Amino acid sequence: MAKKTPLSREFVKGLWDENPVLISLLGLCPTLAVTNSAINGIAMGLATTFVVVSSSVIIASLRKLIPHQVRIASYIVVIATFVTVADRFLAAFTPEISKALGPYVPLIVVNCLILGRQEAFSSKNNPGRSFLDALGMGTGFLLVLFVLGGIREILGSGTFLNLTVLGDWFAPWMVMILPPGAFLTLGLLIALSNWINERRVNA
Amino acid sequence: MKLFLIFISAAIVNNFVLSYFLGICPFVGVSKKLSSAVSMGMAVTFVMTITAAVTWLIYHLILVPFNVVILEYVSFILVIASLVQLVEMFIRKISKPLYDALGIYLPLITTNCAILGLALFAVLRDYGFIESLVYGIGAGVGFTLALVIMAGIREELELANVPRHFQGAGITMIVAGSLALAFMGFAGLISI
Amino acid sequence: MNTSAKMILVLTLITMLSGGLLSSWDGFTAPKIEQYRLEQLRLAIGDVLPTHDDYDKVQADGMTFYVGKDSNSTVGVAFQAVGNGFQGEIRMMVGMTPDFTEITGLSVLEQIETPGLGTKIVEDPTNKSDPHWFTNQFEGVQPEPKIVALKNQKPSDDNEIQAITGATISSKAVVDILNTTIDNAKKIYNSNKEQVS
Repeated sequence: MAKKTPLSREFVKGLWDENPVLISLLGLCPTLAVTNSAINGIAMGLATTFVVVSSSVIIASLRKLIPHQVRIASYIVVIATFVTVADRFLAAFTPEISKALGPYVPLIVVNCLILGRQEAFSSKNNPGRSFLDALGMGTGFLLVLFVLGGIREILGSGTFLNLTVLGDWFAPWMVMILPPGAFLTLGLLIALSNWINERRVNA
Repeated sequence: MKLFLIFISAAIVNNFVLSYFLGICPFVGVSKKLSSAVSMGMAVTFVMTITAAVTWLIYHLILVPFNVVILEYVSFILVIASLVQLVEMFIRKISKPLYDALGIYLPLITTNCAILGLALFAVLRDYGFIESLVYGIGAGVGFTLALVIMAGIREELELANVPRHFQGAGITMIVAGSLALAFMGFAGLISI
Repeated sequence: MNTSAKMILVLTLITMLSGGLLSSWDGFTAPKIEQYRLEQLRLAIGDVLPTHDDYDKVQADGMTFYVGKDSNSTVGVAFQAVGNGFQGEIRMMVGMTPDFTEITGLSVLEQIETPGLGTKIVEDPTNKSDPHWFTNQFEGVQPEPKIVALKNQKPSDDNEIQAITGATISSKAVVDILNTTIDNAKKIYNSNKEQVS
């Protein structure tokens, strides 16, 4: 029997080595769409983490009962349910953020990251491990969104977390909060992470 | 006239991929070869149009009258998953080579945010049945357009000297950024 | 239990559990969401009408009017004006005097215009003393025969407003939408007088 990965590893791997966005290129749609500010990035990251963790725990608990042929459909129903919960929660308790994130919250349903975790992990591991795996992936996702959102907000609006950080002398690079800026920044981040990983391997 | 505006808006001015960031995963994954890009684009357009129709019916004939709008996301995604399953079987029957060419990307159409996005947007904008259909076709055409342009560029990039760390996803994002910038020029194309 | 039956059973069970959870969640969150929506509406109407006690919501010929009342007399009528801007849809709330001769206020509810240019219709950070100057200038404007947007000129007539430099299209879009909607609203309101007062 293969040696089991330590529990801490299940969590940490999602932060960098198997980072869902930078390494696996999953969940790109919301990553680009809502990272026009750091707060929006964090909110989306938290919502996604909630959905992936809840879904993973439920599916891991039910994994022995779900027949193979209907597993994708079952995963989808579970995921869509938790997304509805998250979406309604935001609309009811944080309406301003809900408006800012708009239609991208329901799109968490088709975030390949979440379905991917169920297929690759939760369907084969116990709820405890699945919880950690999901939490790690979610956190890794949130970190990327936070960094991307932060960069785009600072350069595009001169603010960070809604506080002005660059004074009047700075003429904001409008393009950063528009679609082209999103693509360009993400491309540079991916290249940077590739560079860092290469150095780690060679170090 | 309004239908035409809806079509042009979805396909070009507010292109689903380059303005709304929908359908990025297949955009990055399938745009390596022109031929697979075209096939994927057509399959997606087909699924989008039918999805637009079916989800409209479900929303206006079931969810709203029975006051179960809270089930919107669950019902829509189940519809999409079933539709993709059907399209898969259909393509397999009429053209095995096409089925093989699309491979894993066919079932992945289910998680294409562009399709669910289309269904949700059409409801948000309160489009009628025909308007939703046209919106679906326009969105599909726009998606195909972005995919095909990207594939064309990437095929050229194969021969270029892309810096090591940018190879793959990195350069694709940068190219997408330039495309998005170019497409921004279409703003103001349609006005009353 | 054979596979097909098990498949159907499991899927049905999961869907039922989902439905159950969501119905109760709906019951819990729906009132809060509705409350927020009404609050926003009240704020928007308050922004564009002169001070009033309350408003009556009246629907006629497909249009919704919010009639501001102050101890039973009508102080103004508010309604939504929607149309295409430069990048997308612009949604506004307009307030007018009961005889529809003068605009009492204008508020932009939703828009996706070019950030830093078209978005100045909502807030202009370059104008430190009056960032909402664009919508504020509509107060007191008389839309007869129609509102006109002037480029780089200060308005001299009651039906003129000044467009935003660098965002002429967004400014003109606002004016076009208002002209069409006010014309329409006036007709509908006047032909349904008994219903609305």
